[in-house]
Amino acid sequence: MKAAIFDGIVLGLQYGLLGVGLTLVFGLAGVLNLAHGQLAVLAAIIAALTIDAGSSAGVAALVGILCAAVIGLLLDRTLMQPVYRLRGESRVLLGLLLMLGVAFVIDGFLEWRYPIEALSLRIGGDPVPILGVNMRVGSLWASGIALAAGAALLFFFRGTTTGRAVRSVIQNEEGAQLCGINPAFVRGLIFALSGALAGLVAITRSMTSPVTVTEGITLTTLALIVAVVGGLGSVSGAFLAGILLGIVDRVSSFYIGTYITTIFLLAAAAITIVVRPAGLLAPRR
Amino acid sequence: MTATTARRAPGRLSLFRAYLPIAVTAAVLALPPLRYHESRTLMGVLVTGLVFACYAIAFNIIFGSTGQLFLCIGALAGVGGFASVILSDEVGIPMLVSMVLATALAALVGGLLSWIAVSRSLDVIFTGIVTLAFSLAFSSLLLGRRDLTGGESGLRVQAGADTFLGDRVPPYYAFLAVVVAYLVIYRVLQRSHIGWAFRALRDDEMAAELSGVDVRWYRVEAGVIGSAMLGFAGALYAHSEGFIGPSTYAFGRVDIRVIVMLAFGGIGSLLGPVVGAAVFTWLDEWLVSFIELRVLLYGAIIVVLFLGFRRGVVPTVHAAFRRLGSRRGGAGTSGSTTQARAP
Amino acid sequence: MARSSVSPSRTWPTDGWTVADEILALDGICAGYLGEDVVHDVSVTIAEGEAVAVIGSNGAGKTSLFRAVCGLLATSSGRVRFGGADITGSKVHRIARAGLAYVPAERQLFPEMSVRDNLFLGSYPQRPDPERLELVFGLFPRLAERKRQHAGTMSGGEQQMLAVGRSLMTNPRLLMLDEPTTGLAPKLAAEAYAALAELRSHGLTVLVAEQNVPLALGLAERGYVLENGRIQLAGTSAELVGNPDVRRAYLGVS
Repeated sequence: MKAAIFDGIVLGLQYGLLGVGLTLVFGLAGVLNLAHGQLAVLAAIIAALTIDAGSSAGVAALVGILCAAVIGLLLDRTLMQPVYRLRGESRVLLGLLLMLGVAFVIDGFLEWRYPIEALSLRIGGDPVPILGVNMRVGSLWASGIALAAGAALLFFFRGTTTGRAVRSVIQNEEGAQLCGINPAFVRGLIFALSGALAGLVAITRSMTSPVTVTEGITLTTLALIVAVVGGLGSVSGAFLAGILLGIVDRVSSFYIGTYITTIFLLAAAAITIVVRPAGLLAPRR
Repeated sequence: MTATTARRAPGRLSLFRAYLPIAVTAAVLALPPLRYHESRTLMGVLVTGLVFACYAIAFNIIFGSTGQLFLCIGALAGVGGFASVILSDEVGIPMLVSMVLATALAALVGGLLSWIAVSRSLDVIFTGIVTLAFSLAFSSLLLGRRDLTGGESGLRVQAGADTFLGDRVPPYYAFLAVVVAYLVIYRVLQRSHIGWAFRALRDDEMAAELSGVDVRWYRVEAGVIGSAMLGFAGALYAHSEGFIGPSTYAFGRVDIRVIVMLAFGGIGSLLGPVVGAAVFTWLDEWLVSFIELRVLLYGAIIVVLFLGFRRGVVPTVHAAFRRLGSRRGGAGTSGSTTQARAP
Repeated sequence: MARSSVSPSRTWPTDGWTVADEILALDGICAGYLGEDVVHDVSVTIAEGEAVAVIGSNGAGKTSLFRAVCGLLATSSGRVRFGGADITGSKVHRIARAGLAYVPAERQLFPEMSVRDNLFLGSYPQRPDPERLELVFGLFPRLAERKRQHAGTMSGGEQQMLAVGRSLMTNPRLLMLDEPTTGLAPKLAAEAYAALAELRSHGLTVLVAEQNVPLALGLAERGYVLENGRIQLAGTSAELVGNPDVRRAYLGVS
């Protein structure tokens, strides 16, 4: 049981990062990025190709993450512009559908061109015992990176001028404009950050198990569930929800079964929406 | 010089003009088997096209008419399909009864989803997420309950195999009848209180609410009817195909196609679903050798469609005809009314 | 208050025919929503250091006019000149950075950020100037008491003060306020206008839209009367207060 919980925390930290990327874009731009998981997979495949070409793992990881960030920025500057011109329900709908299209474009492209590529970053070393449970080195690295990323995000949003500016645009775009903040710049920044986070999740995931081209939909679904349970738009909520759902995922998979676990997680999202749409774990507003 | 024409409510067509397009469509669609009846595969493709037209008409009612983003079209059809097959093959209930029961079940599930969305005032995104969650959960359920559903390998359907549904050509006409019936249902709904309610809701939500009628509940009606249509089509498809599996009603196979078909054909138009289904069934066949490219292409088409061609084929054609008509000096009104909203 | 170090002429070219001391000029402004104008052919000139009131009842177009000036609403025709430079059609944030501060009626604060953070964001992208912060806290002592309180939990009057304070942090040359006394008790409203008067002594130009005519004309030297989107009257405060139509419509005198 303890092993399952520890595994769950490792998984949960990555789920958290995954959810944060999705929730950031939604909170800021009102766009539900259904291509988030696909961006992650794209980063993984680019990293894998870079390794195939002879680079070290570290460089390849950076390249992958950077590419995902750039593509995120590109999406904001191109496809999302018509979306931003709309308001309310039309904006949400168009954003959702366009991102769905992008998801299929990326998925289709990868399955067509690189159907058997996968990213796997093996980190050597014997398992390290933590509180009586043997943890693989890869898991520890992945968790460490996720935690560091979380801390960096926290510092960024709470402690830097730009981070505060981002939060201000999320809370009141017009007010932010009146303070001289350019919402278009902030949107581009967040889309790039979201892409980078997706890439980062792919990299850390590959430290525990291979990331293949078929995982895009799974990752998007997980990101969606985590973001919803944590409250769409809440970064801290997404992180907490991720950890919680990661634990639920591992424990349930271990004791009950994988298909039921999937249904549990999906139900968690649905129940959150029906019972407390602001998010089960979002700070009370 | 305009003769005095009978004043009708704006947009209200005469009975004849309302149903004429359906009759014409039925006549046109009755033709293909005359040419392709030899090939079983081709007939199968045509039948699939009709099935997707049914799905698209149902989605048109649920989303096009009442704005509910149901991302579980395939799942609702799957509820109908699997329920009917399980009831008729495992439990032994006669096929027709199974189909009715399965349809009712789909209607119940869809109605429940609508009811949740309306009573909790869920907006588009949340309705979409909840229905997507249902769709994915349903897929998991199909894979998990291997004993009932055959899991990954699916089920061979016995009921119906020995009826006319197992032949080459008759299923086509059966589905054509269903398509026509669905088109009629759509038209009837449009001209009924549901159609009025949604137009009122879309034009001015506050005025609609103030008029004393809670128009949102018509969404549940539309949800139930649309889901019943999906369930029935799914069930009929199962019995005519002879085989159903986890991919038959999957999101990636059904929902994406239906969204593209409807968007291309024209959301909210009568014949949009049929036009869309026709075009994309043909496109699918044309691309059958490029199977990996299909996903990529569908994605690209969605992006292009929603960026540039949001109205769809049928409304665009309509508008073109109207412009032609007014240019010839007809008495029709041109242009759209702009609504100035108070700041 | 220190003069703004960002001169608009660095960002936009001046067109050379500006009135001396003119800080804001509206020339034939038409603006509206969904193709229908609610502001028709409004022309206004404001000199640096002045206080000017725009008076009108609900729906007269005051808010739409102000939003058109600061870039939140697109103009269908007409030009806006600020500090000698044509800012028509410019983006909202660039106009704000050039020294034109707008305090909307809805205030548009950041509800989940503290008073301190709200004020800090006013000086974006620079770090907040401690002198200016002192000035703001001096004008609104109640804000100093609630530095860490979330803006969303404050009362209407406090939010109004915070909104004005935040706009002051942007180091404006011109401050536009849209109905600053809405929902405020008379005492608070008077306090707000006293603060504005003090700001004027620091050299700030003030343009205020108001339904509360006595307060507005008490602060301002000049005024425009806006009705149905058009300027019906213009004159000094004394002239407007004495005008029988104004007295009947806005001062409740029969």
